[in-house]
Amino acid sequence: MFGYIRLELLRTIRDGGFIIFGIASPVVMYLVLSNLALAPGDKHAGAIVTMVSMAAYGALGGAFNNGSGIAEDRAAGWLRQLRLTPLAPAQVVSGKVITGVLGVVPSIAAVLLTGVLVNHVTLSAGQWLAIVGLLWAGTVPFSLLGLGNGYNLTGQTAAMANIAALLGLSIVGGLWVPTAGFPGWLRAIAEWTPSNSYAALSWDVASGTAPGPRAIAILCGWLVVFGLYARYGYRRAGRTA
Amino acid sequence: MEIDAVSLTAVTKSFGAVRAVDGLTLAIPRGQTVALLGPNGAGKSTTIGMLLGLIPPDSGKTAIFGIDPGQAVRQGLAGAMPQEGGLIPRVTIRELLTFIAGTYRAPLPLEQVLALAQMTGLENRRVDKLSGGQAQRVRFAMALVGDPDLIVLDEPTAALDVEARREFWNGMRTLTGRGKTVLFSTHYLDEADEQADRVVVVDRGHVVADGTSTDIKKIVALTTVSVTAVGEVAWLGDLPGVTRLEVRGDRVHLRSADPDATVMALAQAGAVRNLEVTPADLEDAFVALTAKETV
Ligand SMILES: Nc1ncnc2c1ncn2[C@@H]1O[C@H](COP(=O)(O)OP(=O)(O)OP(=O)(O)O)[C@@H](O)[C@H]1O
Ligand SMILES: [Mg+2]
Repeated sequence: MFGYIRLELLRTIRDGGFIIFGIASPVVMYLVLSNLALAPGDKHAGAIVTMVSMAAYGALGGAFNNGSGIAEDRAAGWLRQLRLTPLAPAQVVSGKVITGVLGVVPSIAAVLLTGVLVNHVTLSAGQWLAIVGLLWAGTVPFSLLGLGNGYNLTGQTAAMANIAALLGLSIVGGLWVPTAGFPGWLRAIAEWTPSNSYAALSWDVASGTAPGPRAIAILCGWLVVFGLYARYGYRRAGRTA
Repeated sequence: MEIDAVSLTAVTKSFGAVRAVDGLTLAIPRGQTVALLGPNGAGKSTTIGMLLGLIPPDSGKTAIFGIDPGQAVRQGLAGAMPQEGGLIPRVTIRELLTFIAGTYRAPLPLEQVLALAQMTGLENRRVDKLSGGQAQRVRFAMALVGDPDLIVLDEPTAALDVEARREFWNGMRTLTGRGKTVLFSTHYLDEADEQADRVVVVDRGHVVADGTSTDIKKIVALTTVSVTAVGEVAWLGDLPGVTRLEVRGDRVHLRSADPDATVMALAQAGAVRNLEVTPADLEDAFVALTAKETV
């Protein structure tokens, strides 16, 4: 399974979609947004909030891109080829989930590094650790949603669904523009999205408060929903592969 | 009794109203090279899919070396090349084959696989930038790299030119020389005849004939010799080599197992009028084979 993860990571870093949605776009947007100072508060606080938002956006990009890869692999007959090797189906799925989890690391790192190097963001060591950890672990529900789309939908449709989910969740979840500026009804929706809860954990840490239980509960709820969705798709794909 | 490499017992598979495979039984002892010969839609790929555990049969039993196919694949006992697909973009041939090799306990050395698949020197090329024939060889290499005892190939030479086809079979003979069991499907009678120890002809999901290539050769060597009929023609049926006589309009069609002798005899009898000699085609072979089966 090690070899499988290695191969999939190699493919990921050579993938244009990953570079654009997972790394380039969040870094560029971070530089633009933080210097427009759209976030509330002073410039330094704004740079921190936007840094977390864009790192979250980049991580989502990586996670969804990984899911689109599954649909591509299915169309290419790669999943069938894997079934003709001694790898067990469970190893293939776990390998793909692990690839998704590892694949978000460069996205998070790129934005956080830009924060430190360009916008001179300063946080305590404990805050950095907590933010990296939460941004990282929190991508699992999105990886599962991406994989679910990859298993349930075919090639192009899966890629479109994942890009739509990425953009929709990023915008409505307040990753691009803070929800503070949203109309009331949209803010009410935003507070139930997994993306808003996901980023909220790290926003809280960055502002020096403990992550709220509400955000944790919502994110865990979505984890279960997306996990079931991915499992359903995997079983369905197994019958037709 | 030694356990067969492949054992399919009365397997059936329908897709909606289509009976792709209909009660097919096939046992292949270890070390045999078997061709699965049949026209488009005969059920070859479906049979292979069931044998490899990719397609669950509606009924019947499947086994590889006496165990469940999925388990046999997991133990590295079987390697296969599906009819199409299986290649991924953004990796090199070397990366791909190294990964596949790594999933087996005792794979072949990469250099040997590259040589067998005629790909030496191409190993650093990206898999998505290969010609159809080169891609086919990579897919073939993926079936071999684990050094499995059973190799299953679905139309392995479909995208290859004549020269590549010849080289391909040279590589295969190296493997069969080492006692591997090989099952391959093909549309080409010549290929089945030249490369296989045994030819299994399938049509509409059934085995319609099953014999050594010599058996098959005898039957399909039936060439049609036809001349324009003059007067009484029944005697033509007794000419050397003739196995069947048929009169259509003013033409007499003679099925011959020895066309040279038949033509010679026609000439001696002065009966050569608008002579035509037509070699048996696949269609004829199927007809002949099906006829043999029912006798
Ligand atoms: N997944 C499927 N869904 C519906 N019908 C199918 C499916 N797979 C095969 N069939 C049908 O089953 C029959 C046998 O198909 P199969 O692919 O096994 O034939 P084949 O002998 O491999 O043909 P070819 O030489 O064209 O590859 C065909 O009529 C085909 O249309
Ligand atoms: Mg086929």
